[in-house]
Amino acid sequence: MFLEIDHLTMQFGGLIAVNDVSINIEKGEIHGLIGPNGSGKTTIFNVLSGYYKPSGGKIIFEGRQISGLSAHQITAAGFARTFQNMRLFKSMTVMENLLVAMGYRAKVGLWQEIFNPVAVHREEQRFTEKALELLDLLEVAEFANELAISLPYGHQRRVEIARAMATDPKVILLDEPAAGLNEIETEELRKILTNIHERGITILLVEHDIKLVMEACEIITVLDYGKKIAEGTAVAIRKDPVVIEAYLGKEGNQ
Amino acid sequence: MSVTSIFFQTLIGGIGIGSLYALVALGYSMTFRSMGLVNFAQGSIYMVGTYFGIIWYQGMVMNLHVPYAVAFLIGLLCNALLGIVLERIFRPLAKLDLMLMLLATIGLGFILDNLFTIIFGATGFAVDSPLPNTPWNIFGVRVLPQMALLIGVSFALMIGNQLFLSKTKWGRAMRASAMDFEIARAMGIPTNRMNALALSIGCMMSAAAGILAAPIVYVSPSMGVAVGLKGFAAAILGGLGSVPGAIAGGLVYGVLEALSAGYISSTWTQAIAYIVMVVVLMVKPSGIVGEITVEKV
Repeated sequence: MFLEIDHLTMQFGGLIAVNDVSINIEKGEIHGLIGPNGSGKTTIFNVLSGYYKPSGGKIIFEGRQISGLSAHQITAAGFARTFQNMRLFKSMTVMENLLVAMGYRAKVGLWQEIFNPVAVHREEQRFTEKALELLDLLEVAEFANELAISLPYGHQRRVEIARAMATDPKVILLDEPAAGLNEIETEELRKILTNIHERGITILLVEHDIKLVMEACEIITVLDYGKKIAEGTAVAIRKDPVVIEAYLGKEGNQ
Repeated sequence: MSVTSIFFQTLIGGIGIGSLYALVALGYSMTFRSMGLVNFAQGSIYMVGTYFGIIWYQGMVMNLHVPYAVAFLIGLLCNALLGIVLERIFRPLAKLDLMLMLLATIGLGFILDNLFTIIFGATGFAVDSPLPNTPWNIFGVRVLPQMALLIGVSFALMIGNQLFLSKTKWGRAMRASAMDFEIARAMGIPTNRMNALALSIGCMMSAAAGILAAPIVYVSPSMGVAVGLKGFAAAILGGLGSVPGAIAGGLVYGVLEALSAGYISSTWTQAIAYIVMVVVLMVKPSGIVGEITVEKV
């Protein structure tokens, strides 16, 4: 198994945000994670990316337990993510945002930085080329030298995905990438997801836009109140009475 | 002397003292942007750095008289190490209440001031100028060679620091960890080490200011008190946490001080400089070069 979330529980005081959830994710799949607000989707992301230590259960990635590792060890293991509320380095340029993400694997040290300009220049050029290629994939290359904060919202979202890609991940966690996007932008995002998928990167997608999830994801896991209530293909999920009840019941109450 | 040459004479004096404030203001801003705390010991760090360098030049250690340039580098190196130690001390403080951490840095300043008073005595001393004491005459403006050195080296250091921050990988990593340390850490940037580097640079700038100014001013354990306050005012004026802001703030503050002393009254220098500062902050609370970077506190 590529990525295995094994009986994961996450408890904050008396609140059980994630309750004994197990999900298996195959290499190269686009896996959707849906559920009403507060069902524990983002909490699972925070555990996966090392911001929380799970209260119970474990996460196995390529045969190795990664739950409990720190955020940068998990990045180094091959995970990258984006955030619901977008956390770009706002007053840096788009290019700089990507260069920072690549920097941690860099070979040039502080002394070389000062005394070996040739090696520095060569590395910088290699990184810049790779960054431009990623920005091109996300169709934001023309903004490379703009400040991140000056970009339109939809483009900032793409830059954040490009930055996540810049760490060379095996798994990318996207937390509501379509939030705040209009229909056309969402359709563009779906194409981008396909492009990323074609590069062999496994995608884990948390999203409220059900249409996007149904179209893009091969397998969908449905959560409700921290528990897994269903899992399967889009077609199967759509027909599942438990899922329909969770969603319709929710809407019926509103 | 003509009216214009008097003006330029005053202006040069202001730029000289202003570059000193700018270097100290950089110390405040580098600490604030990286760790989110105001280090009120910065004035004492300026004093300590001055001693670390000047004692070798003045033959106060085993009667050694090392060249001024070497003493300068020793002072910078010692203060760089001090910066690393400070990061370790401040690390637990950065998580505390703002009031507590202000008190702690003020306390640290007192400790350093008193420690140096115990070691070197409360009375100060004058430092021999490494350059000739006869002023150069540049288009009717008289400039002390040491003053020219102070301005020249300060500007070189400030430009160098700016290039380091904006152009190098390490500078980028430092800026990233100042903007969002959680994300920076997730990207594999050792944020604590970046903070230590930021504090080291700030402390080195303060040492440079002190050692460059030592032959013009008077060296004593209390020399950092006024400069520390003015450096803080300059950092606020430019926009606390902003590197170009610290430089602009320092220069503007120094020139204001010199102009009000030259044209109005030296008794009112401080009052006028502070009034202008308050007015600027009322118009633009984020300072002259307010940055979006700093979202802390």
